[in-house]
Amino acid sequence: MAFCIAVIGKDNAPLYLATSDMEQELQLQYHVHAALDVVEEKCLLGKGAPESKELYLGLLYSTENHKIYGFVTNSRVKFIVVIDSTNVALRENEVRAIFRNLQVLYTDAVCNPFYIPGESLTSKKFDRSVQKLMNGNA
Amino acid sequence: MSRQATRLDAKKVNSEFLTLTYGALVTQMLRDFENVEDVNKQLERIGYNMGMRLIEDFLARTSAPRCLEMRETADRIQQAFRIYLNIQPTISNWSAASDEFSLIFDSNPLTEFVELPADLTNLRYSAILSGCIRGALEMVQLEVQCWFVQDQLKGDNVTELRVKFVRRLEEVIPAGED
Amino acid sequence: MSEEIVFDCLHAEIVNYCLDNNKKHDLGILEYIGFTTGYRLIERLTREVPRFKDELETMKFICTDFWTLIYKKQVDNLRTNNNGMYVVQDKAFRFLTRISPGTQQLEHAPKFVAFTCGLVRGALSNLGINSTVTAEVQSIPACKFHIEVNRN
Repeated sequence: MAFCIAVIGKDNAPLYLATSDMEQELQLQYHVHAALDVVEEKCLLGKGAPESKELYLGLLYSTENHKIYGFVTNSRVKFIVVIDSTNVALRENEVRAIFRNLQVLYTDAVCNPFYIPGESLTSKKFDRSVQKLMNGNA
Repeated sequence: MSRQATRLDAKKVNSEFLTLTYGALVTQMLRDFENVEDVNKQLERIGYNMGMRLIEDFLARTSAPRCLEMRETADRIQQAFRIYLNIQPTISNWSAASDEFSLIFDSNPLTEFVELPADLTNLRYSAILSGCIRGALEMVQLEVQCWFVQDQLKGDNVTELRVKFVRRLEEVIPAGED
Repeated sequence: MSEEIVFDCLHAEIVNYCLDNNKKHDLGILEYIGFTTGYRLIERLTREVPRFKDELETMKFICTDFWTLIYKKQVDNLRTNNNGMYVVQDKAFRFLTRISPGTQQLEHAPKFVAFTCGLVRGALSNLGINSTVTAEVQSIPACKFHIEVNRN
């Protein structure tokens, strides 16, 4: 369902990245990286307008093969999801649902007292759940 | 007051606040002590002290009469978990002599978010619970032993606490365990 | 409420633990336990909240919504000098209501407020605001928390 799900820390260091397609891994990583600039822009622009205060940032940009969506938490952690742009069946509210689920998983991981915020998310539980989310059966 | 946070469930927030604060204490202790067994002891002792205070509140709240046998005691412990942690353990596995039973927890709010690191398998993360039971019962002149038989944190399906009656204490004010 | 009693007992034990614990009579550890709790907790509590647009909005959230959720009462007064200094006043601060008022108790006050100083600092820190939080107790159970935003 999704090609790539990434969690990026406050300082733009990647905390977690999963891709479903190893062959495209490098390209997907590049997409995630490029998306961060768009996230920065979106967070700066349009202060005050009600729609801009949403945590869900919507479509950041798209390429021939991919659509890249973004989400930012109040703690300034970014979530990036890359999907197949040829998959027209995937609706926007499903993308929103992926982010909402991802946010719940991330918050739970942060609440594990043995996880040190800002470090890579190495939790197996987190990884298992994100993999499920990526395959569209969360 | 602004609108958003008020939608949050106050009970859930209370429970998470407790869970996270307890987690912060446990990890602090792991930094303070080299030996995990010392951390287990400290957590148990903290629970013991809390149990001694909570029983007063429990007796005042429920105006429960004195328990004459362990089966009644088990019911009261179950009730206390419902009042204070909003969970209801099942009572089971009574010994033939009715002096020993298990409390079975499907879920444990203290460990809701916890993933135990591989090198801490001997940490009794929830030792506060067994301490609490021991401290509370000691205030009503019951000496018990209390220990974990199963723990979901270590991969078991349920968390099981075993409680064993040791003896009835003389009617004196027990000294604090310091 | 029943859960609050459990928390109050745990808080009292944490205070004792941090101050008795052999060598170091250290309020810093107590503050740190609060910090890491606040840091994690705020991640959950702001899950459904729209993005904060600036420091003032964030501070308002912490001093009103967050405070009310944790301490079950609204703060009695919130003031700012509009230059990074915020003062929260609570006339009956939860962890001070159980100790008897009187000047001889005042010297013990710091240990009942350190956790909360850390809690607020941790919550703000995760929301991107670096601050110094101190508390001032002049007469139990009233308490003033001074939050100074470190801007740079």
